[in-house]
Amino acid sequence: MTDPVLILDAVDKSFGEARIIRSVSLEVERGEKHAVIGPNGAGKSTLFHLCSGQLTPTKGRILLDGASIGGLPPHEVNHRGLARSFQITNIFPGLSVFENLRLSVLRRRRRNWVFWRGIAGLKETNRRTEEILAQVRLTARAHDLASALSYSEQRALEIGMTVASDPQVILLDEPMAGMSHEETAYAISLIREIAEGRTLMIVEHDMDVVFSLADRISVLVYGEIVATGTPERIRADARVREAYLGEEAA
Amino acid sequence: MEQLLFAVLNGVIYGLLLFMVSAGLTLIFGMMGVLNFAHASFYMLGAYFAYSLQAWVGFWPAIVISPLLVGAIGIGVERWFLRRVHKHGHAHELLLTFGLFFIFSELVKLVYGNYPVDYRIPDFLRFAAFELGGLDYPFYRLFIGGVAVAMFVAIWLLLTRTRVGIIVRAAIYRPSMVEALGHNVPLVFMGVFGIGAALAAVAGAVAGAFYTTNPNMALELGVIVFVVVVVGGLGSLEGAMLASLLIGLTTSLAVAVDASLADALDLVGLGDAAREFGGLLDADLRGLAATLPYFLMLLVLLLRPGGLMGEGD
Amino acid sequence: MILRIVLSVAIVAALACVPLLLPDAYVNAAIQMLIAALFATAFGYLCGQGGMLSFGHSAYFGLGAFAAIHAMNAVGGEGLLPTPLIPVFGAAAGLAFGLLAGWFATKRSGVYFSMITLAIAELVHALAPHLKETFGGEGGVSTFRMPAWGISFGASGDVYWLALAWTVLCVGLLYLLTRTPFGRMTVGLRENTHRMKFIGYEVHRPSAMVFAISGMVAGVAGALQSINIEAANYVVFETSVSSAVVLNSFIGGVRVFFGPAIGGALMSFFGYVTADMTRSWLLYQGLIFVLVMMFLPRGVVGEIVFRLQGGEEERRALRPGTLAVSAVGVLCGAAGVVLLVEIAQRLFAEAYPGAAGGWPPVTVGGVDWSPLSPVTWLLPALLIAVSVAIFLRGRWRDRAAGAAARSEEATR
Repeated sequence: MTDPVLILDAVDKSFGEARIIRSVSLEVERGEKHAVIGPNGAGKSTLFHLCSGQLTPTKGRILLDGASIGGLPPHEVNHRGLARSFQITNIFPGLSVFENLRLSVLRRRRRNWVFWRGIAGLKETNRRTEEILAQVRLTARAHDLASALSYSEQRALEIGMTVASDPQVILLDEPMAGMSHEETAYAISLIREIAEGRTLMIVEHDMDVVFSLADRISVLVYGEIVATGTPERIRADARVREAYLGEEAA
Repeated sequence: MEQLLFAVLNGVIYGLLLFMVSAGLTLIFGMMGVLNFAHASFYMLGAYFAYSLQAWVGFWPAIVISPLLVGAIGIGVERWFLRRVHKHGHAHELLLTFGLFFIFSELVKLVYGNYPVDYRIPDFLRFAAFELGGLDYPFYRLFIGGVAVAMFVAIWLLLTRTRVGIIVRAAIYRPSMVEALGHNVPLVFMGVFGIGAALAAVAGAVAGAFYTTNPNMALELGVIVFVVVVVGGLGSLEGAMLASLLIGLTTSLAVAVDASLADALDLVGLGDAAREFGGLLDADLRGLAATLPYFLMLLVLLLRPGGLMGEGD
Repeated sequence: MILRIVLSVAIVAALACVPLLLPDAYVNAAIQMLIAALFATAFGYLCGQGGMLSFGHSAYFGLGAFAAIHAMNAVGGEGLLPTPLIPVFGAAAGLAFGLLAGWFATKRSGVYFSMITLAIAELVHALAPHLKETFGGEGGVSTFRMPAWGISFGASGDVYWLALAWTVLCVGLLYLLTRTPFGRMTVGLRENTHRMKFIGYEVHRPSAMVFAISGMVAGVAGALQSINIEAANYVVFETSVSSAVVLNSFIGGVRVFFGPAIGGALMSFFGYVTADMTRSWLLYQGLIFVLVMMFLPRGVVGEIVFRLQGGEEERRALRPGTLAVSAVGVLCGAAGVVLLVEIAQRLFAEAYPGAAGGWPPVTVGGVDWSPLSPVTWLLPALLIAVSVAIFLRGRWRDRAAGAAARSEEATR
């Protein structure tokens, strides 16, 4: 069954003396929902930064569809089909919700340098934006400023911006952080929907979310992957229980 | 040879003067993230206040009282102006200090006129420190340098050896954490702003008597001080010292060297072609001295954007 | 949309009538207002749309001015590039240098960006006097406007129409640009460069491009100034030129597209009107700027637009009654400050005898003010106090009304 779309091969990341990621190797299968869990400070966000071009690996290779993306600038990584969301909401606060999404679509459709036509005339771009707007259920708020949205709406907007790049691989960094129980349930269905036909990699602290959503789970502890497998296997893994779940239960 | 030695000495002293002004600026930036455009105004006010005061109370009290007054103004600027617009972001704060810079310059022109005032070194300090190759070297220059060195040592001791200094340094890196630990960060900010202003005023009070005290001194020095802070690395005291000396020396040496770029190109046999080309290439290096700091800054920004002692972006 | 077009045409038509209605002196002032408005629009485009705060826009304005001068002297207003098309050279110079400088400056963001722009402008300022062939040294370079297209360009009305045509063209095109995909990308850069990278944008090239476009329009403004005064001097590179455009634009408000233009035009008008009356115009300009930054952070035009578009609470300040009270407050404050500054200015002037020669009265606004009379100081103090009181009352009311609205909402 192996058709890995994203491959990390012995990836290392050090900041000065501190070795944050220690020889991580991981294969994310095409079309799967892969969760990365681990205690605080394990390096989950750093791992995402490495995959998305925010940081350059100190050692090792990162392959997307067979081509190396380690150390490429973020926009190049995006062009090759990997888009991400951020742990701390990262949107365009002073623009309308519609514009937030349209910026993403605009670039995807390579219309961003067009200076001879009005934006209103780009029918296909606007239509696609409406589509994503509906998908993340923000149509009613299309013309409000993004800064005026509620926290969970902003999280949905951020997921929408990520999907609007039409990537084959999506990285979501703690999309449910700070959400209420109801909001979380709603966000799970949203994520399921947008992940349809794509590969999803997600960092999440809420174990209910992780176990209900993920096809496979990798456990990262102190920069090392201690286990990768189906939710059942991870639940049963003694090392994981010791290193991570035990902590949670306590 | 003596001339070269004089140039080096003058460069070092000028560099130390730059340091006196940039020290406060870089501390304030490091701590509050505010690039204070009005900082050089404090330097100017220091000089003018000292000029006015010395007629009443004499030279020594004047150069002590003037910085205290300017420090108070600095505290007022932080308390009633900067703090109010803090919520609008750093660009807004920068613009506000830019406006204040403007107002200070215009007020000084209003009160003291458009031309330099007659602020002079007191007679008892007007003597030669030593003689070299038949040329006297004024003691007062050494005095300026001495004040700057004393200031550097004092700030350094304050920052590294005292409790307040530790809080200040911590507040530079993690203001919210320091606040969470129960320290009054706004008060610390206000204090640092006041002290920074006072330091600039000391420089003005001391140096204004030697160089000229005029309404443009804030602008002239201000831009160079920005260059110092950017070259040294924003927020770094050691960087400010290094960059000040570097810029002081390059400017001073360029003035001393009687040559043009074309002369330098002679070394590779292109001198005549350069002279024929004219323009910049044939211009006297002495005349271009004022532009060297900017070239230095562009170079640093390209090669080491965070500054010589900075930490990246 | 149609309303907008009609309105724009009406405004342009009204502006075009200025030389027919006003005496020459005012037409000259109007030309300067147009140039200031265009320059401020160029700055505002960079700052308000692209989010890049430049402290060195004199460089592009000045290079545009010199490019136009040299073009006028070289081409002589003949051939394919007659006088009315001379600003093309200003645009080219601004664009070319804007690309070069912008390439460097936009490698960094925030405060660093501002400092680099300032340093580049200071570099040009420091170099210009040494390049006598290009910048003419102390005396500058002068030229003559040549007749073209059957227009003599001798009268100030002709120059006004030329300046108006170019200003309308440039401002109009820039405005249209903000409504294109490129324009939307530009505001994305302003809002969040970091996020832009992760939705696939390479940000350095568009930033440099926005910078260059701003430089190009500033160059056109500089060229118009050269055409107007038929001369240019390296004084155009001075820091004061850069700072004036910053002050004017923010007084108008950079986030609304026409804010900088209105700010630039109004401030240049006030500067012109008060030039003969006071020596302290720059001080007033600085005071206005600081007050605007503190109390109207959106700028004057920005605040008005915000209030007009806002809900009931925002609009309350625009009711005729409230507006009249505010106007009284502003006028009182302005009168008090101006009186104080002008009296002080005369007292500190060198010609004033001071203690040695007694304390003769000074004349401000045709009235003699004795420095020893309490009225001299109490009147301005009273005026300022009234203004502050009105202002505080307004703020207190706003707060009370806001609280009332909130509690009403809560009980509902």
